[in-house]
Amino acid sequence: MHKTLKFMAVMTATALFSGCVPAPKPQTGSILGRPVGGQASSGEYGLRPSNYVSSIQTYFSSKLPRAKDAIYKFSQPKRAYKKKGLAYGGGVEWKGWLVETSIATRNRSGRLLTPRPYMVLFSGNQIVEDILGNSHKLLVKVDK
Amino acid sequence: MANFNTHFTVAATASALVSGTLLSMEVVTPEQGVVAFFIGTLGGLLPDVDSAHSKSIKVGFNVLSLLLTIMMIFVKSSTYSIVEMFIMAALVFSLIRYVLLEVFRKISKHRGMFHSIPVALIWGVGVAILMQFFFGLNSLVSWVYGFMTTFGYLVHLTLDEIYSVDLGNRRVKKSLGTALKFYKLKTNTDKIQTAIIYAALVGLFIMAPDTDLIVNALFSQEAWLNFKDVFLPYDGKWFFH
Repeated sequence: MHKTLKFMAVMTATALFSGCVPAPKPQTGSILGRPVGGQASSGEYGLRPSNYVSSIQTYFSSKLPRAKDAIYKFSQPKRAYKKKGLAYGGGVEWKGWLVETSIATRNRSGRLLTPRPYMVLFSGNQIVEDILGNSHKLLVKVDK
Repeated sequence: MANFNTHFTVAATASALVSGTLLSMEVVTPEQGVVAFFIGTLGGLLPDVDSAHSKSIKVGFNVLSLLLTIMMIFVKSSTYSIVEMFIMAALVFSLIRYVLLEVFRKISKHRGMFHSIPVALIWGVGVAILMQFFFGLNSLVSWVYGFMTTFGYLVHLTLDEIYSVDLGNRRVKKSLGTALKFYKLKTNTDKIQTAIIYAALVGLFIMAPDTDLIVNALFSQEAWLNFKDVFLPYDGKWFFH
């Protein structure tokens, strides 16, 4: 019985840890010989989104309650990448451009709320995801 | 001490109230509200996991073993064959449900430090970290789930303290003060346990997701105003909006 338990413990630990290999970092690259952000060339990150302001406003118009009266503020797009959660394997899930956006909406009584920060992730001109907040443990901003 | 059914009913009721309030305040979406309710209810059963023969320990370890088994299948489904997954699932399930349960039964002492406020916080912060690192959820939702875990846990501890007072016979039981406590320093083991728990709590807080959003959503002046806005009909019209 004792031996069986020991065997089971060893086998399970092996199976568990084999699933916990850290995700590979994106390769370091350069533009015209100049290292970029210490991580990768902007080529790897795709095209910088050009029409991000209207894209973001359209995107959130159907996502947020009372989005019609929302007040938006935008940062310049910056390069970033996001890893998958460990439940999904932990590899790089997305690499592209991130626009930090702050959105103030009204609550149902009409009171204007404190703006909420969102990180909007782009692949080219396409929004792939939005993340509420200024930071996320799985997201790395290449450009500060 | 309240029994399993009482803990379950009270934790579920309290969690329904809180998750409903969070939904009304637009802190969570309806789907997240349902998850928050279940997490709060489970949090209300967690403290009795240290009781060797309670229903909670069986329910807790059944849920934990199934959850981790499903997670492992999820993680490995793209690389493992069906047979490999089956073997791994059987191993993970058996290890947690039988081996870990027995080890836990041996080392835990009912109403030890497992019934304490810092451990309630450890569970909450742990869940928040898990939600962000493991499932990639945003900081607000991760912390809402962590908050619900701690909330359910504290509901359980409070109920235990309430049941320590015998109103009929106008006396207090020996168990009074053993649930809602910050530390236990009777023996050297108690002192070491307390120190480890506080050190773990500090370590977990360092790893935890950003707290700005949850503080603003639940513990700020604006949160209070938001709560007042949704507590009664804002336009004065009851049921006919």
